[in-house]
Amino acid sequence: MSRWIYEQDLVSQKYRILIAMRHDRIIRQIAADLGIGLQDLRKYFIEHLDMILLENLPARYEAALAAADHGDPVARAVGRALYTTYIPIVPPYVMDSIYRHVDAQVKSGTPLIEAAAKGRAMIREAMEP
Amino acid sequence: MKRTVDVNIPLGPVHPCFKEPARVKCETKGERVIAAEVELGYMKKGIERIMKGRPWQEVMFLAERVCGICSVIHNMVFIEAMEQISGIAVPPRAAYLRVIVNELDRMQSHLLANFSYCYTIEHETLAMYLLDCREQVMDALERLTGARVTCAYMIPGGVRCDIHAEDQVVLRESLDRIEKELHRYASMFGNGPMIALRSRGVGILTPVAAREAHVVGPTARASGIAEDRRIQHPTYKQLGFTPVVRYDCDNYARIMVRFDELFQSIRLIRACLDGLPKGIIRGGGICKAGEIRYSGEAPRGELTYSIKTDEVGRVVEIQIQTPSIMNIEACCHSMIIGADSIADVTATFVSADPCIACTER
Amino acid sequence: MSILQAIKNKVRSRSIHVSYVDVGSCNGCDIEVLACLAPRYDIEQYGIFVHNNPREADVLIVIGAYTHGWEEKLAPLWEKIPDPKAAIAIGNCPISGCCFDRRGSYVDPPVSKHIPIAAEVPGCPPRPTEILNAILSVRDLVFADWEVKRR
Repeated sequence: MSRWIYEQDLVSQKYRILIAMRHDRIIRQIAADLGIGLQDLRKYFIEHLDMILLENLPARYEAALAAADHGDPVARAVGRALYTTYIPIVPPYVMDSIYRHVDAQVKSGTPLIEAAAKGRAMIREAMEP
Repeated sequence: MKRTVDVNIPLGPVHPCFKEPARVKCETKGERVIAAEVELGYMKKGIERIMKGRPWQEVMFLAERVCGICSVIHNMVFIEAMEQISGIAVPPRAAYLRVIVNELDRMQSHLLANFSYCYTIEHETLAMYLLDCREQVMDALERLTGARVTCAYMIPGGVRCDIHAEDQVVLRESLDRIEKELHRYASMFGNGPMIALRSRGVGILTPVAAREAHVVGPTARASGIAEDRRIQHPTYKQLGFTPVVRYDCDNYARIMVRFDELFQSIRLIRACLDGLPKGIIRGGGICKAGEIRYSGEAPRGELTYSIKTDEVGRVVEIQIQTPSIMNIEACCHSMIIGADSIADVTATFVSADPCIACTER
Repeated sequence: MSILQAIKNKVRSRSIHVSYVDVGSCNGCDIEVLACLAPRYDIEQYGIFVHNNPREADVLIVIGAYTHGWEEKLAPLWEKIPDPKAAIAIGNCPISGCCFDRRGSYVDPPVSKHIPIAAEVPGCPPRPTEILNAILSVRDLVFADWEVKRR
């Protein structure tokens, strides 16, 4: 495993990107949606996403709201495309298993809101490390 | 998420091909790029934080200094957003003059972008031709506005200075000359076999990936997405504007879209000069309180200002979403993945016309 | 002055390698430096060659108002340039911070706090001819008789 040369600590600079007005609103929305703390989500983003993706968060979030998962209420409720391709929080294969689980629950008679809440909990678990 | 790779190649921040400092960290396997990461922070000036709490008279000049290459459009979008908030009408002559200056700015920006690309693929002859052509556009811009880069031409309710009859004649002459030269350069680029080897099929951006990253401007239009904020602009509607679209999705298409837009800009300026209405150039008005999200088409794509003002015209909240953010993101996460060599990475990066000063503000 | 020194002066006056570094500007000065390359101004007719490699540069052109990202980078970059060397600040930003040096911003001007600056060209942005003129003036002041002055 090779290492980068001239590496510097980017946490403070990434944090500066996240506290801009629209970024802050989007992060608060995602945090409320997933039910995790604001600082925890910021920490997760700082550790896992690179700087240009952080800058692009609002545009990607809005593109997802406009285009992703139309015509499938279950996928929209768990944010199937939103949290994988648009904002990469969980890997696609994990999201697929979450989606299948929630979809099965909805088909077996659980109300959509309850099943989606379960799906969110699973996303939170997948985000832990 | 670190993966085991053959070689990590960081490009930048000081790199011969990049005009501005950015760091692209490529993870390669052999010569093939399998992932890339961008490190910014070399240009973060916090201009939105400076703008907060200042009156529009100051923010107008600060907005220009977000980006020096596309300074006219930053000024224009901010002023038009203020006009929308306050309900100020623009005299028709001023609206046409705005289009003329905006298109001249777009021409110099596109010429600079194509110069950078030709310089990066080491076609220095064509690069120097294009840079010489750009100087003629800069002359026209200076003649109209009085400055080369930071012009501050637009003010709420009009423009700062009028275009004289002799200036119109000079502008038409220089447009004729530029168009003649550009036809030659465009065909040099379009038909050059060596350029095609370096450009065709390199840096593919699929329309699906483009929509995911919300790519805008010439980069999106080269991937077959017919998006252009100028379609919605009232003055451009009068002039009968249709966007240029290409479907090749590669470096070649992106540069050719810019060449096509140069000719389109020349046509738009000519149409403006032909139909230039008579009358005043400044209507006047008072800036009021309000909140708006307003977009305009910068040379690199859709530029959005989200502004909230108070009753004396001070800016309370502002966020600028510049086109380069989306374009660089798509470039580094889609276009350069799978590039056959590191030499293609710099060429592809430059073909998306990155502007780091815009991106970080 | 020895013959050797005269030859060195002659050679150095016609071969200046320029490296430019943008430490957080608005790009306006950047494109004016690029415009110097254009056939109209033709920077190479004076023997000045612009290519961004600090290790073989003689003149470092500094543009911009020194952001935090450069804290660990600008001084090492300056040290990599071999002697004789000179740094030129282009535009208002490296001199005073221009419009960016306000409360709440992330810049730390002037650049002369961090590396020694030999010449300053004010303007927002300065014209290409002024940039060219500054490089040529610094050439005569810094590089002529450099070995004699060093003693």
